[in-house]
Amino acid sequence: MLSVKESVGGQLGTRAPTLDLDEIQAIVLRPRPAPYFGTHVLLRIDDAEAGREFLRRLTPHIGSSAHWWSAAHTWLAIGISYAGLEALGLPQDSLQSFPEAFRVGMAARARELRDQGVNDPKHWDAPFGTGQVHIGVSALSDSEENWRRALKIAREQYEAFSGVSVLRSQDFGFQPGDLNPLGYKDGIDQPAIEGSGAEPLPGQGPVIKAGEFILGYPGEAGVPLPMPQPDILGRNSTYVGFRKYQSRVGAFNRFLRAHGSTEEERELLAAKLVGRWRSGAPLTLAPEADDAVLGADAQRNNDFDYANDVRGLKAPLGCHIRRMNPRDTQLTRLTDVNLHRLIRRGTTYGPPYDPNAVSTEADEIPRGAIFMFISAKAMATMEFLQQEWIDEGNFVGLGEERDPIIGRQEEGASFTIPHEPVRRRVHGIDTFNVLRGGEYFFMPSISALTWIANLSG
Amino acid sequence: MPTQTATANRPKQSLTVDEKIQKMRELYADAPEIGKTALENGLPTLTQALAAPSAEQTAGRIGLRQGKVSELCVFLPFVKGGAKRLRGFLQLLEGNFRAADAVGTVHDMRFVFVDNDTKLLFATAYDGDFDEYIDDFAAKIPNAMDLWLCNCEGYPGMRSGKAKEWIFDHQIAAEAWYVNSPNLTAAETRRLEKVGKAVEELLDKIG
Repeated sequence: MLSVKESVGGQLGTRAPTLDLDEIQAIVLRPRPAPYFGTHVLLRIDDAEAGREFLRRLTPHIGSSAHWWSAAHTWLAIGISYAGLEALGLPQDSLQSFPEAFRVGMAARARELRDQGVNDPKHWDAPFGTGQVHIGVSALSDSEENWRRALKIAREQYEAFSGVSVLRSQDFGFQPGDLNPLGYKDGIDQPAIEGSGAEPLPGQGPVIKAGEFILGYPGEAGVPLPMPQPDILGRNSTYVGFRKYQSRVGAFNRFLRAHGSTEEERELLAAKLVGRWRSGAPLTLAPEADDAVLGADAQRNNDFDYANDVRGLKAPLGCHIRRMNPRDTQLTRLTDVNLHRLIRRGTTYGPPYDPNAVSTEADEIPRGAIFMFISAKAMATMEFLQQEWIDEGNFVGLGEERDPIIGRQEEGASFTIPHEPVRRRVHGIDTFNVLRGGEYFFMPSISALTWIANLSG
Repeated sequence: MPTQTATANRPKQSLTVDEKIQKMRELYADAPEIGKTALENGLPTLTQALAAPSAEQTAGRIGLRQGKVSELCVFLPFVKGGAKRLRGFLQLLEGNFRAADAVGTVHDMRFVFVDNDTKLLFATAYDGDFDEYIDDFAAKIPNAMDLWLCNCEGYPGMRSGKAKEWIFDHQIAAEAWYVNSPNLTAAETRRLEKVGKAVEELLDKIG
């Protein structure tokens, strides 16, 4: 596995970081390796002191973001839910200093997150949304051997004694060609964070103030975001929105076949939904056909804006990547795009994408992606994205149209593809990714973990 | 501070039409004669409204929504000289609210000076949840917001990161909310205006 720096041909400029990288958990700044192997473990704390003992033992093994652009690629990450912080015995005034959406949890914010219909928490996989998920531990590595070693270290800290129970363990891993469950290379576009120590890749800018992603630093408004108290708990910590999606591969393939009579037509339609071809090559730079070399080139595959595609004739206004980062698209609502970005760590589980799967049975095969959305205001940003850019279309003049990849489609939904002389509207778009669970986690800094672990009472 | 009603905590009504009519009769039993007569004469029409499913939703933490359109109403005490300053400013604008145009989610706004110019009643209809875009206002139009809100007591400034909470603290939920086209956002209305005009032009050419 190449380091981030090596993967872009060594052309990654670095400069002295201004963030406390050795305090910030590794997963915040390190991109997911490729290939990758990993496991998400969800735990419940049955006894406060046992939970703190577990934290005292695990904390020395949690990876930091120090030298994230060239460091080794195996790390453990930990997040703690509000119920978990309660179970660990955090003082009341500290608990009350967390934002409301975090305190009540993701399931209780279903209305604000538009997690309704098939995505309603009542359909979620156990133990999501039950209030029992206290801690999430993720092991991630670029090699199977190192992944197993990291997971063993994590297990040794909670299997040895009672008071901490495993609720669910979910392995995930690299798929052939590093494709997601719908057959795309993804995770290409990540926000560039000021002071993190690396120059942005071409097209990755503008550089965004660190306080939008990590607590304790000035945000885009020039002041730090509200931070849980005491300071040692908040500074260098952040929040994670954890979302498990199941991909309905059959429904996706059926849709492509219903609206494309040749392989070329189907692949163009698929690319129009995403805004990129399967290789990762953006439609903005490769409007006619896939370009695998472009897709694989980190110096070029994100190096574009929409100045020459104002109407979306190349990348439709409603395509997935244009919704998730509109860049310079003219929006109908006054918006500062920099305020609504998330660091995304996507991990794929289950069998790889099967282009021939068209049955409804194929929709039910457990395969999909677990996302970790990281931001110093992850709850507010996720609610904004779900309400405004995912399950809505008004922000780009598309009425009720929704994100074709992660939106929840209503009966008779459509997708508009701008075209000359008239746009094409594809009807009958289905929900291709169904939400199967989610939790909000606080992702403490290394010092914050130590502080929590050494609480008494 | 005005009395707030957390609309989310309103009792859920699940009465039948007959029960609702009965309830109306009880409410109006001691009403002035005009009201009693109006109830009896107006009952056939009123029954239709009472029989319809609830069209009311909550908007964010406080306030009501119908379809995509929400209401926000705040009652803000003026600082000393604030009423005079804001009145002068609004008069100079002569009805041109460019910042509101730019926001794109605002349907209307009204500024009402009450209690001998000691308080401002600000009421607006807007799309979606109000708090989703407040940080964007702070980033994009802080001056436009500060220019009028600085005239109100305790306003922390758009750049403080505390304006959202301050507005919530002064918000009063409407008891009821009516929207003629609850499914049309401000953006959608403008788009349909253009589409309608284009269709007429097309028909002119054909005809």
